[in-house]
Amino acid sequence: MPPEQTARPASRPSRTARIERIFDHAADTRSLFLAPIDSRALRFTPGQFISIVIPLAGETRNRAYSIASSPDRDREADGLSPDATFEICFNRVPGGRGVDWLFERVVGDTIDFTGPFGAFTLDTPPSVESIFLADATAIAPIRPMVHRAASSAHAPIVLIHAAYSADHLLYQAEFEDLAGRDSEFRFEKIIAPEGAIYDRLFAECERRWIRGDSNRARRIYICGVGKGVIRLRDLFRQNGYERRSVLYEQW
Amino acid sequence: MAKLRVIFENGDPERVIEFDPAAAPFHHDGRPGSILDILLGHKIHLEHACGGNCACTTCHVVVKQGLPKLSEAEEQEEDMLDKAPGLTPTSRLGCQAVIEDPDAEVTVMIPRFTINLVSESESE
Ligand SMILES: Cc1cc2nc3c(=O)[nH]c(=O)nc-3n(C[C@H](O)[C@H](O)[C@H](O)COP(=O)(O)OP(=O)(O)OC[C@H]3O[C@@H](n4cnc5c(N)ncnc54)[C@H](O)[C@@H]3O)c2cc1C
Ligand code: FES
Repeated sequence: MPPEQTARPASRPSRTARIERIFDHAADTRSLFLAPIDSRALRFTPGQFISIVIPLAGETRNRAYSIASSPDRDREADGLSPDATFEICFNRVPGGRGVDWLFERVVGDTIDFTGPFGAFTLDTPPSVESIFLADATAIAPIRPMVHRAASSAHAPIVLIHAAYSADHLLYQAEFEDLAGRDSEFRFEKIIAPEGAIYDRLFAECERRWIRGDSNRARRIYICGVGKGVIRLRDLFRQNGYERRSVLYEQW
Repeated sequence: MAKLRVIFENGDPERVIEFDPAAAPFHHDGRPGSILDILLGHKIHLEHACGGNCACTTCHVVVKQGLPKLSEAEEQEEDMLDKAPGLTPTSRLGCQAVIEDPDAEVTVMIPRFTINLVSESESE
């Protein structure tokens, strides 16, 4: 029989945030705007995530949710006022009890979390062309990364956002607006049947950045669900891109 | 029965778990039969901020005995470990390293700090 007492190594301080606002992007995709109750802004690097402590009957689960908003530093650069509130964005998953719990939260509820965590980050705008590839909600960590990449004079940036329907292409207007203002930023959309999203992304990347030229100095950022992310990683790494230039996060 | 001995760098008393690898999964996070899965299934806390998805390194363990008894690290684990402070030649991610051999005897040490605790305090 397992012992009752749980042994704990160095325990990590958790924080609490109140849900200030809820926004539904689509029937199955939602953003929560979270304000730390100690009013201390969460300091993070674009691309990082928080770990939410989800209480289920008789147990807790830790689930990662990327911070979909930008740190204050980037907000200020965009002329927005500093704001301790940050955003997470998530979608329903068949049988997903953790995310179902999140969908049950209402404005005013509190959430316990730790973090920020994660090394899938972009701190300084890359000096070489950067390619961002995101599948539906996996735009969440990419969104602040793109804003940071475009925050000062920068090399070309391409963002390809793929999803199975237009309403799962989140923050479209924002990226279109950025592309309208910034001639070095290109925003491209792919709408494909769910099972074909990664095939389309793979074909597009292979055509343009593998067969299309011999430049292997780009930075690649990939985020999505499942093995398709690993296929994309391998496409770049096995065709001359340096391992450290191909960053990815698989959910 | 396989045996997993757990030493805590923070000085907590060590624990020994005897288990049947064929009975995995023991919990629901990390690879079935992984060190994380075994520990959580036996009510021993190991941090797993990303839910056991090879995206954080909070489950970093240092293998003191039985390294060859663990599943081989895949590229994704190597990529994450690259970023773990206190990395040793026998470091593994608890959510990825699986014990399959029913006669395995493995000892792991759970370090006091991980990359994310460091980056969190740096971010403050
Ligand atoms: C570093 C990291 C960051 C993450 N950030 C986000 C985020 O910003 N928004 C978000 O919605 N999810 C995110 N996730 C996924 C999230 O942590 C949970 O895995 C997800 O909400 C399902 O959890 P669950 O407990 O409900 O389901 P579980 O029973 O744990 O089901 C998990 C299964 O769902 C798949 N899955 C995970 N996420 C999704 C998804 N979004 N769509 C479809 N299938 C999925 C997994 O591959 C796995 O097979 C992230 C995961 C990681 C590792
Ligand atoms: S729990 Fe995050 S890498 Fe193992």
